[in-house]
Amino acid sequence: MPGAADPPIIDLERVVARTLPNGLRVRVYPDRLVPAVSYYSFFRVGSRNERPGLTGISHLFEHMMFNGSARYGPKEFDRVLEACGGTSNAYTSNDVTAYYDDFASEAFDTVVDLESDRMRSLRLTDETLEQERAVVKEERRLRTDNSTFGLIEEQLETLVFQAHPYRWPIIGWMEDIDRIRREDCQSYFRTYYAPTNAAVYVAGDVDPDLALRRIEDAYGDIPAGPAVPAVASGEPEQRGERRAVVHYPAEAAALIVGFRGPPASDGDAAVLDVLQACLAVGEGSRLRRRLVQEEVAVSASVAWAWRIDPGVFMLLLELAPGANRQRAEDELFRELGRVASRGVSAKEVERARRLLRSSVLQEFSTRNGVAHALGQAEALLGDWREVGKALPRYEGVSAEDVQRVAARFLAPTQRNVVWLDPRAAP
Amino acid sequence: MSLALPELREARLDNGATVIVAPRPGVPLAAARLFVRAGSGLDPPGRFGLAHLVSTVARRGAGRRSGAGIDALVESLGADLGGDAEEDATVYALTAPAELLERLLGVLVDVVASPTFPAPEFDRLRRRELASLARDSDEPATLAERAVFTAAYGDHPYGHPVEGRTRDLTRLRRADVRAFHERWYLPAISTLVVVGPVDAGAVMDLARDRLERWRAAGEPPPEIARAERGPRRVVIVDKPDVTQTQIRIAGTALPRSSPDYFPAVVANAVLGGGFTSRLVEAIRVNRGLSYGVRTRFAMSRSAGLFLFSSFTKNETAGELVEVAFEEMGRFCEEGATAQEVTRATNYLAGLFPLALETHDQWADRLCDARICGYGLEEVQEYRERVRAVGPDEIRDVARRHLPLAGGVVLAVGPAKRVAPQLERFGKPQVLSARSVL
Repeated sequence: MPGAADPPIIDLERVVARTLPNGLRVRVYPDRLVPAVSYYSFFRVGSRNERPGLTGISHLFEHMMFNGSARYGPKEFDRVLEACGGTSNAYTSNDVTAYYDDFASEAFDTVVDLESDRMRSLRLTDETLEQERAVVKEERRLRTDNSTFGLIEEQLETLVFQAHPYRWPIIGWMEDIDRIRREDCQSYFRTYYAPTNAAVYVAGDVDPDLALRRIEDAYGDIPAGPAVPAVASGEPEQRGERRAVVHYPAEAAALIVGFRGPPASDGDAAVLDVLQACLAVGEGSRLRRRLVQEEVAVSASVAWAWRIDPGVFMLLLELAPGANRQRAEDELFRELGRVASRGVSAKEVERARRLLRSSVLQEFSTRNGVAHALGQAEALLGDWREVGKALPRYEGVSAEDVQRVAARFLAPTQRNVVWLDPRAAP
Repeated sequence: MSLALPELREARLDNGATVIVAPRPGVPLAAARLFVRAGSGLDPPGRFGLAHLVSTVARRGAGRRSGAGIDALVESLGADLGGDAEEDATVYALTAPAELLERLLGVLVDVVASPTFPAPEFDRLRRRELASLARDSDEPATLAERAVFTAAYGDHPYGHPVEGRTRDLTRLRRADVRAFHERWYLPAISTLVVVGPVDAGAVMDLARDRLERWRAAGEPPPEIARAERGPRRVVIVDKPDVTQTQIRIAGTALPRSSPDYFPAVVANAVLGGGFTSRLVEAIRVNRGLSYGVRTRFAMSRSAGLFLFSSFTKNETAGELVEVAFEEMGRFCEEGATAQEVTRATNYLAGLFPLALETHDQWADRLCDARICGYGLEEVQEYRERVRAVGPDEIRDVARRHLPLAGGVVLAVGPAKRVAPQLERFGKPQVLSARSVL
């Protein structure tokens, strides 16, 4: 049985951590099994730091980071990286913007040079801004405007959050994407991309002391940045169910339901992970058995992503064409009510814990996964050492805890309900 | 530097089944695969989707266990088990905590060797597959992927979607599923692969014990024929309401075991792989026409496709296809520069170790090598062989395998707006979304 006797799944004693005088945090996790390295740069900025009228700037800016800096001209970043056996990508979330490079060990110095150069001296031109604006608009058409899931998910966040910046989509509203100017990007860069607001995570085939020295040499002279503006993170209490309908020509209906959960720093965030596994991970989970195997829905899933401020516990049902919508909704709410009133069994909790353990192990089986987990833990929980608690966190969760969080967070008055109506708007 | 292979232990059992165990340090999860070299390429005409349905229903009852019983056992131990049909094989994958493998390997074998195909589960899963197909109509990219294989392969056994089509699924009966299993699920064409921090001797004994009882015999499947590229077709799958058109350009190219494999991999990296490829530069960077642009050689055992994929707002669908053909034409004409070849080969060689980082990746690679018929020395020598590819081979492989003539241009978008833009590539044939599902 996994538990106390387990060796730690990740040896955090290996991590060499330092904060440079300019505020840049650097954490290095050596692991020499594979001749490759993963290198993450985390910036504590995401759509949470935006304001209406400029939504989507975090994500559009992420694209701008690949378009040239002082010593590497436009198009050079990826060319240089690929030429030495590496690849890069990035993502923007509600809370952070993270860039990664995966590469053959020999490329380490080049990567440090590329990354520090763009943090020091990014070049923003009108030409590259227009080009990325067009690309981002295509991305929005792909993921939101022509995606049934994208449409209802976007609608759901505007219901769950009335005031909090989580209300708007990470990619931004189409009009705002059109509105962003170069000066906005420049000021955004100065404010949010200074070393004070950044951290570097290295996992893989490196000598940690040497790696740290290289990073210090390369980033040491970048000036510390200004204080980052506070986020207006308030959200009024929800006093009853909220509903919306999205009309879009489609073959079948879908239902998405969201509840505001706790922030990542709250111990209940891990309890909701366990609840998620009880409800919708694996064929034997409650919603799969009650809704999918009973053919009320074609699929049932739960998404629960930890965020700095309270995030969304999201349930999605996809229906067969012509299926009974009322029944799907009723059955879903009945099951959630059952968990809140009668709880789950100790066996279900044990099952969930084991499934969660396997998914944590999967995450730690790549260098990219380890570097990302360190960055994510520091960004959301304030300390990279929290990675070491990934499994113990679940060991402490009891069936009573699961019932308590279901009752607290998934109450009927706290529901936000969006239906995809597969007919064009009347 | 060569890449080290894990030490492989291999045995052929009395019933003809093969077992490969590859102990490897790393996270305490074991990756097991049991594949049968029978996939959707063996679907009988009019019964497309059969191999896929077999793989789905097999999981719902095997040996003495019901589907719910398998769920309960597998998931209560933190494991994952499922089957998936491909063109040339059906692969059943089990990922389990290494210390619990002993309790689960028997279930994996049962699902493959002695599924019971309970009638209610068969009926339910067939209905679910039908509903999923209908839902696919709402996903333009999914529609495009399904339609392009059919359009490019035509009547070839790889030419229908693995999941089948509505008209086929409606026709399928439980007896078809049982018959497919009985005819093709044979130990002599099956291989069990286990990778992870396991004791090779113990796993080998365990595998022998669980697998050797499987008795079934029959002729192995015939080799599937190579595919011929037909004349150029332009196909539009009509989605009147979307604001963005999905584009595919495809043509038959090479099978996985082709001697052209390495030149093709490098050519693809220069033309449409990675972030600095010619097509990404022309379409995304220089013109802002799309967010995503990519090419690949989709290779199976007996045949393969060259496939270009992208998407753009409806107004620029024709422009995107034009640019893609321009770049492919220039590539066939001029080939790659020395600098591009160096960059592409360094890129591929440098990243290759990351494609074999986890136990699951190794297990999948070992299966793929056996299914498609290539040797593992290819894995060891990957970096040297990629670096040995020169500009002449790249140009040669591009000329022979890019669909400049023939092949298919496929768009999923509003036909009324897109058809006039695509006429210059051939007379568009408009299909309804339903007809490809």
